[in-house]
Amino acid sequence: MKNRIAKLMFSMCLLLSLTGCVSDDVPVLINEDELITTVEYRLTNRADDANVVVLKSVDPDGDGPEMPTITTTGKLRVNATYAGSVQFLNESTVPAVDITAEVQEETIDHEVFYATTTMGVQINKLDVDDNGNPLGLLTTFETAGQAAGELLIILRHLPVKPNDGTLSSAGGETDVQVSLPIVVE
Amino acid sequence: MMVAAVICSMATTQAQECTLELKGSVNDFHDGEPLAFAQFYIQELQKTISSDENGRYSIKGLCPRTYTIIISHYDCETKTIQVAMDKDTTQNILLEHHINTLEQVQVIADVHDDHNGTQASTRIDEQTINEYSGATLGDALATVQGVSALKTGNSVVKPVIHGVYGSRVTIVNDGLRQQDQEWGIEHSPNIDVNSASNIQVIKGATALRYGGDAVGGTIIIEPERVISKDTLKGKVIAQLQSNGRGGSISSSVGNYRKSGWYQQATVTYKQLGDFEAPDYILSNTGNQTYAANIAAGYHRFTYGGSVKYSFYDSELGILRASHVGNAADLIRSINTGQPTIIRDFTYQIDPPKQKVQHHGLQLNGYKRFENLGKLQVDYSFQLNNRLEYDIRRGQDAGRAALDLDLQTQTLAAYLIIDALPGTEIELGVDGLNQKNRPNPDTGIRRLIPDYDSNKIGGFASINHRVNDNWLLDAGLRYDYYRIDATKFYLQSRWQGLGYDQQYPQFEIGDQGNQILTNPVFAYNLLAFTAGAKYFAGDHYDFSINLSSANRAPNPSELFSDGLHHALATIELGQLDLNKEQSYKLNLVAHAVKGAIDVEVNPYINRVNNYIQLIPTGLETTTRGAFPVYQYQQIDAVLAGIDLGLKWDLFTANTGASQQVPSTSQVVEKLTLDSRFSYIYGQNRTDDEPLIDMPPPQFSNGLVWSNGIFPNLNLRIANQTLLKQNRFPDNDYEVDVPDDQGNFTTQRVFISESPAAYSLWNVGVSYAFAKAKISFKINNLFDTNYRNYLNKQRFYADEVGRDFQLQVIYNF
Repeated sequence: MKNRIAKLMFSMCLLLSLTGCVSDDVPVLINEDELITTVEYRLTNRADDANVVVLKSVDPDGDGPEMPTITTTGKLRVNATYAGSVQFLNESTVPAVDITAEVQEETIDHEVFYATTTMGVQINKLDVDDNGNPLGLLTTFETAGQAAGELLIILRHLPVKPNDGTLSSAGGETDVQVSLPIVVE
Repeated sequence: MMVAAVICSMATTQAQECTLELKGSVNDFHDGEPLAFAQFYIQELQKTISSDENGRYSIKGLCPRTYTIIISHYDCETKTIQVAMDKDTTQNILLEHHINTLEQVQVIADVHDDHNGTQASTRIDEQTINEYSGATLGDALATVQGVSALKTGNSVVKPVIHGVYGSRVTIVNDGLRQQDQEWGIEHSPNIDVNSASNIQVIKGATALRYGGDAVGGTIIIEPERVISKDTLKGKVIAQLQSNGRGGSISSSVGNYRKSGWYQQATVTYKQLGDFEAPDYILSNTGNQTYAANIAAGYHRFTYGGSVKYSFYDSELGILRASHVGNAADLIRSINTGQPTIIRDFTYQIDPPKQKVQHHGLQLNGYKRFENLGKLQVDYSFQLNNRLEYDIRRGQDAGRAALDLDLQTQTLAAYLIIDALPGTEIELGVDGLNQKNRPNPDTGIRRLIPDYDSNKIGGFASINHRVNDNWLLDAGLRYDYYRIDATKFYLQSRWQGLGYDQQYPQFEIGDQGNQILTNPVFAYNLLAFTAGAKYFAGDHYDFSINLSSANRAPNPSELFSDGLHHALATIELGQLDLNKEQSYKLNLVAHAVKGAIDVEVNPYINRVNNYIQLIPTGLETTTRGAFPVYQYQQIDAVLAGIDLGLKWDLFTANTGASQQVPSTSQVVEKLTLDSRFSYIYGQNRTDDEPLIDMPPPQFSNGLVWSNGIFPNLNLRIANQTLLKQNRFPDNDYEVDVPDDQGNFTTQRVFISESPAAYSLWNVGVSYAFAKAKISFKINNLFDTNYRNYLNKQRFYADEVGRDFQLQVIYNF
């Protein structure tokens, strides 16, 4: 009896130690597909296709310690109307992933908000989600006189819809919050 | 309490003289067999008598007063009864068949104390455990003074002993040290509370057999004991509750043979929907648990062995509103004062949620050697899988954000030398191999990296009863622990923390903006304990115990790296952490006299290199700004006092006339059960209070047993928690955009503790035949409150009123 128990135990130990349930492979690199590293707001002057302004925030290390890098190309003119389109990218992977496409697939789960304190600047959302509520990937961006300020772009995931167009009524979780400097000259 | 029998005899004699007789028989609760040679210890007389071979006993020369009698039998669970003598009385006693091993007759006279050691410990009995059949292990443990619950919502409940938790509290389930990723604040023990028959909470690092790193203490969960006779016994507990609109059912059965063979099984199923606070539904807080424990073995005095398997599967919803995107969202949640998402009640569990599975397999064998003691060999295999689901986008929506497999194997050998009179020596060696493998398919960088760790250790302890008054014990343990991890760091993080300078030897190679590293660390860990206990007669005892623990930093403290969605924080590990060293002094004064059983336990725990998260600044990402916390080491002191009191305010023989066979009545009793705990925790390095210290707490319960009619118990209880006035100020400022695009700097109030609160619970239970039915109302007045030790206190109130119905059937 004693021997039987001992043998049984020994053989089960051996079996388990040899067959362990987890693998010993070298860990593979994980690239976070969902990460949004880049926010690009492209403004094209409706009166002049050559006047293109690109406001961009890039944070390649995601949750890492590096601050986002903010760049502006082109100049915003006074009293102009621009067609605005926003793009969200994950540039930490090669090739880069276009997160905007995901937003377009799940329009009712997303909304982009714009707010600015820059004098005379008006931003209106052009597109709507599958339920007819504002989405915000496409906008018109109007300028008045010379001014400078910050433009806030916020992407909310699972917001309250319909809302009154303000951030505070939308709730949801913030997936993107960037503040970009703008100068109208 | 269990059914006790009192049959009042007709004889009434002169009440003034001490000539009364108490007699009766002692029988087995299950089959009614008489129990020969049961020991009766009459506390007030300090006298022991035993039953004869037919289970009859007689105690003569008693005075007209109340006596406390402790009845023990080698085969059974010890029972304490009180008898109010006013005439010659016959009382038949039924003992619960329990204590297995024939090897040691342990007389545990009360639940406050372990009379065989100097440690501060408290035992939770089966009756209390049964009351929590539908709750969690952590809830049952919180009934012990000095133990609190650290919660995430209502279903993730971690025990806190004397202010510390997680890796600082060792949980031993059925002799097996639980390895279920206990390092996480949101990870509750993967153990079915219904598999426990009794639980011992040791409030110091004295249980060296199970490790030398129990800075706070050790929780020892014991299953139903093995009986050496032919019998089948078991129980079924069914429970329904209104809050969560669900319940649980648990069934245990044991088949025992006189030959020594036995089989045991416990299965539990629990299903609850969304909990409800007084004013709203706590959306997505439902949970579902399946658990099974099976054991088979052969049990003799001289040798035996067993195979045990335990399985635990739980899916736990996390309050939907507690998932926030950034610090600005957190401010919004704090300021609104109620969850930002409230939906209709549902049983459905959506992300954010956790799914955990735990498998435990144990093989155990022992042999007794004459004139030496008992040698025992244990092997265990544990596999823990933890899945955590976040709110995700697109095709990732149903994918787990965290998927960890933790495999642990242990092998241990113990020798208990009990041949010397009054002295017991325990020696042991053990080894552990652990592999953690995060699944890369999550598409999210690993919170905890791949690692292999090994531990080898040995211990020796001695327990010596010097004489009737003095007991001494001491122990020493050494462990060598090595952890070998393979981890990808973001290049920017690796450099930002200065590791490229400090640990170039760990670098393997760059892959894109990440770097693969191989950190390897080893720790030498030493633990010791020494104590003395003085028994002043039969009514008082005093003990002093010093225990020192060394704890190696856990994988979370070393390697954490990333965003924590529940608190909108970035948490970082630190590679150059040293081991944590604690020195804990426990004093216990205990008195059992007449109707009062009281225990006072002051303690002080000095912890050097105490590892805790310290805020280090703000980091800005595309999502916005987040506060950064890093694990750092400080010197800490935790001191406090626990009080426990059981006072039979009123006791009387009801003189009930009816004679019901074998189970009749009974002593009417009004019992006050009081507990108090206070803890002071201070960060001595920064001269500020330690975070997450339980506030002062009072629990008072009044139980009226057999009051209105026999076997009816009425209970009223109050729990009062004061406001924790000592907390570190970790509030921070962050720029929050308003609707117009203006940024205003706002303070995030994450430090302040919630207000004091007081809860009332009432209950009634009635025992009949082998069943007991009870009904209780928790949070009777539907009080709104928040708990400092609940990680979701920023988002929602605690649960409101709850009606519970429970039926227990023993067979």
